[in-house]
Amino acid sequence: MRAIRREPGGLKRDMSILEVTNLKKTYTTRFGGTKVEALKNVTFRVEQGEYVAIMGESGSGKTTLLNILAALDKPTGGTVFLDGQNLANIRESAVAAFRRDNLGFVFQEFNLLDTFSLEDNIYLPLVLAGRAPGEMAERLKPIAEQLGLTGLLKKYPYEVSGGQKQRAAVARALITEPRLVLADEPTGALDSKATDELLGLFSQINAGGQTILMVTHSVKAASHAGRVLFIRDGQVFHQIYRGVFTEEQMYQKISETLTLLATGGDPA
Amino acid sequence: MRKGLYPKLAVSGMKKNRRLYVPYILACVGMVMMFYIVSFLCTSETVRAMKGGDMIQNILSMGRNVIAVFSVIFLFYTNAFLMRRRKTEFGLYNILGMGKWNLARILLWESLIIAAVALAGGLAAGILFSKVGELVMVNILQTQTDYSLHVDPGSVLFTVMVFVPIFFLLLLNALRQIHLANPIALLRSENVGEKPPRANWLLAVAGLVVLGAAYWLALSIQYPLEAFMWFFVAVVMVIVGTYLLFIAGSVAFCRLLQKNKRYYYRTNHFVSVSSMIYRMKRNGAGLASICILSTMVLVMLSSTTCLYVGKETSLRNRYPRDIYMDVTFTDMELSDGPQKDQIRAAFMEVVKENGVFAEHILDYQMADMAGFLQDGRIDLDSSMSAMEQFSMGNFSGIWQVFLVSLEDYNRLMGENVTLEPGEVLMYTTRHQYEGDTIAVGDGAPMKVKMAKGFIKDGTDSMQIIPSMYLFLADPEEVLAPLNGLADFSGNKLVNYHWYYGYDMSAEDQVQIDVLRQTWDRMEGLLSGNGFEEIHMVVDGIAWERADFYGLYGGLLFLGILLGIVFLFGAVLIIYYKQVSEGYEDQSRFGIMQKVGMTKKEIRKSINSQVLTVFFLPLVTAGIHMAFAFPLIDKMLVLFSLTDVWLLIGVTAGCFLVFALFYVLVYKATSRVYYDIVSGDAAV
Repeated sequence: MRAIRREPGGLKRDMSILEVTNLKKTYTTRFGGTKVEALKNVTFRVEQGEYVAIMGESGSGKTTLLNILAALDKPTGGTVFLDGQNLANIRESAVAAFRRDNLGFVFQEFNLLDTFSLEDNIYLPLVLAGRAPGEMAERLKPIAEQLGLTGLLKKYPYEVSGGQKQRAAVARALITEPRLVLADEPTGALDSKATDELLGLFSQINAGGQTILMVTHSVKAASHAGRVLFIRDGQVFHQIYRGVFTEEQMYQKISETLTLLATGGDPA
Repeated sequence: MRKGLYPKLAVSGMKKNRRLYVPYILACVGMVMMFYIVSFLCTSETVRAMKGGDMIQNILSMGRNVIAVFSVIFLFYTNAFLMRRRKTEFGLYNILGMGKWNLARILLWESLIIAAVALAGGLAAGILFSKVGELVMVNILQTQTDYSLHVDPGSVLFTVMVFVPIFFLLLLNALRQIHLANPIALLRSENVGEKPPRANWLLAVAGLVVLGAAYWLALSIQYPLEAFMWFFVAVVMVIVGTYLLFIAGSVAFCRLLQKNKRYYYRTNHFVSVSSMIYRMKRNGAGLASICILSTMVLVMLSSTTCLYVGKETSLRNRYPRDIYMDVTFTDMELSDGPQKDQIRAAFMEVVKENGVFAEHILDYQMADMAGFLQDGRIDLDSSMSAMEQFSMGNFSGIWQVFLVSLEDYNRLMGENVTLEPGEVLMYTTRHQYEGDTIAVGDGAPMKVKMAKGFIKDGTDSMQIIPSMYLFLADPEEVLAPLNGLADFSGNKLVNYHWYYGYDMSAEDQVQIDVLRQTWDRMEGLLSGNGFEEIHMVVDGIAWERADFYGLYGGLLFLGILLGIVFLFGAVLIIYYKQVSEGYEDQSRFGIMQKVGMTKKEIRKSINSQVLTVFFLPLVTAGIHMAFAFPLIDKMLVLFSLTDVWLLIGVTAGCFLVFALFYVLVYKATSRVYYDIVSGDAAV
């Protein structure tokens, strides 16, 4: 198992890895100046080692939330603490390095650079961090094995399937040993077989201690998570803990909640 | 479908892609304009009426063909850029239910509009600027003209007749591409997954070898005539080598860099090196074209400027005196006959009658022969005559040998050199003589002393092979055994020249009058007895000046015109390269940011790539120029221009001006590039 904390300290150990408090985001439309509230008042915590899925319909504010968590966007109000550090306090110049060192990203569209082989795509964040080639190879080896990429490393994105691309993207997210993996609709562009594979991998990685936050509107994807948060109209509307449920039971629960959400009812 | 829909779709399509269409249309307008200007000047009566004007017109009509050929290649090249981007739009129309026939109609309208704008705009601009061209030419030929604007219907018609077929061919090419593609391919044509370029080591090495050989050739050539013959071979080799190196060599080089893990996996190199491979694969040919065009512009501008600047010097080299006579005897006896005094007297009579003053009188005699230099011996008696060897391309050992008496040398040069028996004083042009002794024909070897120089004479400056002057205490001794010898076609091996000439401080018109009168006088004299074996040429520098200026000015004018056209081409290729790369880099920019690169890092990396790609052609063109320099230097010797420093200065000047212009174009186009890249890339 990988090391969980880099800095020792009693205080931090008790803290959640991610604390989102009263988060607000208001956009002003470019024409007409009408204000749109993407996020009204979002509060939740993610504990170390958790696997959380955030669900909501299109336009519910999921992507805005993810962008704020990734420090790609700034909130209008509220705070985000990642591993005890307030994102608002990070200097602009340090944001990219912070993102690189603490967050791993998996996107719907993979976002692999087509000019790099899979291996070099995975190395990218490490190269940016200035790591030595030897160290990079050492880190890659177990990850590539776990993700079944060992034979594919020299290939280029255009030569491999969508599932393989996404696995390479996961490897790229994991190789920096991030505090938190943010996944944005990771199964959105995959067929069902590749989806099953990827979700299996996520569970496996999570079992290894990696904290994962996944935004999705796939019930199947969400049913693998340990906890599902539902967002509607910019607010956390409801949450389901997996607890002792099986995946099938979880699937059932999520579906019921979504039906309720769609019909405007209030879950008990 | 509703009438007017197709023109509307065509116009809106062009408007939407104005970043691509505006430069394309401008290029078309520019090409039409240049073509009209050149054909106008080619046929202009005003120009023909000028002295030296027909010379310029001959040169320009060659330039006109070059422009026509270049237009075809260049417009096809830029049109390909347009089509690549338009295909997506056509794919969409196709899916929305338009048949290929409808697309063809849109394309037809588009071509009609572009052709109309290009021809109308180009001809209008051409008519306007043709006057400028005429005035420049008047300036070169140093005559006068009025300031009225002429339109030449013949040239207008000719221009239309050349460019309408070009536009028609472009349309056919576009239709062919639409016809061949299916809608999905049309939609996707912009983002087909691209294979990673494989390094083609064979081609890369071949490029290196070919370019190296061309450079070696340029450096190893010693004789001016060889330079002239091999220049075109070297040009072709350089072009081939440049293309191979830019296309295959660059990819191979990047692959080498990638193999070096310590170098490759560094923040600064990682992204740059791997994207450079793709950039070079896509743009290698374009960059090589820019490089070749730049080199051509530079070579043309520097050599023609040099010729033009040095025109008075070469005129002087060709005609050492204002009035200059070259008398050829075929027999040694005649060279000492009484005819010389009669001719001298006739010259002076004309001078006296015109009330001018003759100064710097030049009066000397020499024997000239062409021979093979072999092991320190000038061989006249070889089984094949020198001229025949020469015509077979075997010219590296051929020398023009001039024999002058030491007495004449001392008198003309104001020196007092004495020679021991068995010694000879030597001076060579165009090539160094390296031996210690020299023998002529079957004569004994003579010890060589080098002379400081000798006065220029017309015979030498007309030569393309190296000349050797031998100053002898008694030339007769060497000449006697050779006198009367002829090659098997009956030409005498040795000719005797008598040069006579003088300067006068008078205006060109007076000089021309004097020359005309001298001609009349000499004609009378030569028809008399005793002059049958004498062949005489009398030239006046003032008379020849207009032709010289016409020739060199015409070359410069053509150099500038073609320079502008090629520059135009280079700029547009650069622009399209930037725009198309901008669109390609747009998505990459976003991804890199998401993976943790700061905007600053991305900008830095892109900047370094763009700079490398952009200045590679300029630097390479500079290197080409440096290696071409010895060749150009030797070729200019053929135009009796021997001032190396002038050539160095002009070449450096041209390069600096060109580089400055290049940087300006870079600044302008990179703004477009960054506009595109940062368009919606900021996540």
